[in-house]
Amino acid sequence: MHRFLINLHRFYFYGKVTFMSEEYLNIGDASKLLGVSIDTLRRWDESGKFKATRTSGGHRTYREHDIEIFLNDLSSLALEWVSLPEPLELPSSFYCPINPIFQARLVKLQTALKSDPSTPEYFSLLVAIAGEIGNNSFDHNIGNWPDLPGVFFAFDTHKRQIVLADRGQGILQTLKRVRPGLPNHTEALRVAFTEILSGREPEARGNGLKFVRKIIQDYPINLVFQTGDASLHLKEKQKELAQLINPIAIHGCLAIITY
Amino acid sequence: MRIILSKFGDILTSRQAGKEALAAFQSKLRSLSADENLEIDFSAVETFSPSWGDEFLTPLQKQLKERLRLINIADNPSVIETLKILEEVSEMSFERL
Repeated sequence: MHRFLINLHRFYFYGKVTFMSEEYLNIGDASKLLGVSIDTLRRWDESGKFKATRTSGGHRTYREHDIEIFLNDLSSLALEWVSLPEPLELPSSFYCPINPIFQARLVKLQTALKSDPSTPEYFSLLVAIAGEIGNNSFDHNIGNWPDLPGVFFAFDTHKRQIVLADRGQGILQTLKRVRPGLPNHTEALRVAFTEILSGREPEARGNGLKFVRKIIQDYPINLVFQTGDASLHLKEKQKELAQLINPIAIHGCLAIITY
Repeated sequence: MRIILSKFGDILTSRQAGKEALAAFQSKLRSLSADENLEIDFSAVETFSPSWGDEFLTPLQKQLKERLRLINIADNPSVIETLKILEEVSEMSFERL
């Protein structure tokens, strides 16, 4: 499914037919809008990740509308980021390398939700869920990030979607510190979302994912959560965990919240 | 004694921030007399979650027991739901006024 999504994401760019009259940006302006360097944009063009068109003079140019779509396709971007062997450079507005930056973006999420008249009255629970998932990434990987530290964190209040991801050790590896016998990602995911862990040594381990599950049982919020090759889908009034094994394992964790 | 919790921020979700808040509060806590209640005022807190609460409220509850009183919880769902899970995990019950 991952490859399909990633290819779909790429096809979206390769296959786009330019029939709209749109504003085009030079590579410098495009890099500012995307929050990546000009060199990165050149590499993305060469690799096909994000193709430029060429002016008659041979310079790279970017349609503003394509950049907006790229920035709005949050779940595909996050999935690609955690699926590939090496981390890609992310738009800076989506990347929180350290927890204080994540906290500041959480304030932005709350502000955006509060200012949107269509936001449900239980918006504080959305912020709390995003906070617990993002803080888990930092708390459980501190000093042990396999490659790139930090989290992907982005939201779209129009699509009612919040996406978080990390390239950390994943739940199985971190939970093994308190449950050494855990056999696989599926079981680790089940324990993380269902069992109260009262033995708090050797690390302070919260029960944030149990909180997330309890909230979603009572409110119209959906969550797709993947770690390694295991994923689950939580929704309102759901009693049993709906778990899946995916053909491709991801690095760390990926959470897609919709409401 | 009363603590206005929103003085620590209106989004209280991070474990690290909860630890720091408790550490910052310790000197004030020492002036609490043996028969005095500590009231935690939740007014103006927008978002509250278990990681912050577990670092701040759970140790205070263990220390003060029924002398810890939670006030102005109102109808903020993140406060209500977080208190429920903290009570479940720690097998205790908060005094709500």
